[in-house]
Amino acid sequence: MKQSNLGPDVPGRLPLDAAHAHDHLEMVDRILSEWQPRLCSGGEYFVVWGVASAYMTVLLHLVGRGLLPAAALWSGPIVLAASTIFSIVRSRAARRVAARTSLIEREFFNVLWVTLGLAFIVNVAANRIFAGLAGAAIWSVAQAIVLLYIGMHGNRRAQIAGLLVIVSLVVANFAQPGAAAYVLAAGMLAGYAGFGLSELLARD
Amino acid sequence: MDELLLSKVRLGVVAELLNFDWVAFSELVRALDVSNGNLGAHMTKLVDAGYVEEVKSFVNRRPLTRFRLTARGRAAFAAHVSQLQALLKEAT
Repeated sequence: MKQSNLGPDVPGRLPLDAAHAHDHLEMVDRILSEWQPRLCSGGEYFVVWGVASAYMTVLLHLVGRGLLPAAALWSGPIVLAASTIFSIVRSRAARRVAARTSLIEREFFNVLWVTLGLAFIVNVAANRIFAGLAGAAIWSVAQAIVLLYIGMHGNRRAQIAGLLVIVSLVVANFAQPGAAAYVLAAGMLAGYAGFGLSELLARD
Repeated sequence: MDELLLSKVRLGVVAELLNFDWVAFSELVRALDVSNGNLGAHMTKLVDAGYVEEVKSFVNRRPLTRFRLTARGRAAFAAHVSQLQALLKEAT
């Protein structure tokens, strides 16, 4: 037996008898079964990024069609930068005051940052490769991954929202060229931002 | 058997921390239904043994102490639970 000066609660009961072992295991079981994995502690991120990505999609479409002047493109980086700053500040503040942060929640944030980070790079740094609607479609794919990841952990609303984003992607593929951007943007708003809104409403 | 985890409170703390990245002291007090002083003494032992990591900060000028399980604590918990199960199996 391991010797230590750190005694148990019940002196003279070393090692544990079967009754106490059963009691301890029962407590561990109870604690672990009470744990309800809950993902997505921040519906606001989804609202912000859903709106930002829909805005970018429609903006690029309108500028591409000559319906807005090229100078309007400057609003894109401003919106993306504002969304990024909001997300960083908000998640830092939330992490600082959180009484509990689950491992699964940490995993979720990792998935969120990796997928959206890659979509961001595709749209900003690789915009010549992913020209036209390709960048917007990649936003949709990234958003669907995040939503379905949350859905896999039992969130029904996320499953529905993820499907909505995927459906918008497929519908956009077969829509008139002039309407495809609006379909993708609608998927981002209804799926991603809509999911965020529903989470915020459920929380309050 | 791991003597440190023979305490029901300390075992409960480790089980509470198992699925979490960080848990605040006040949350552990609430979950385990123990007094601040009692839990504080147990937490000191777990931190000293390297089973749990402690971080103190201030939120709105109020102190916030949070804990997380270390890899050593996680391994010790797994081994201890296995030993408890073996003990029960032997007894039945």
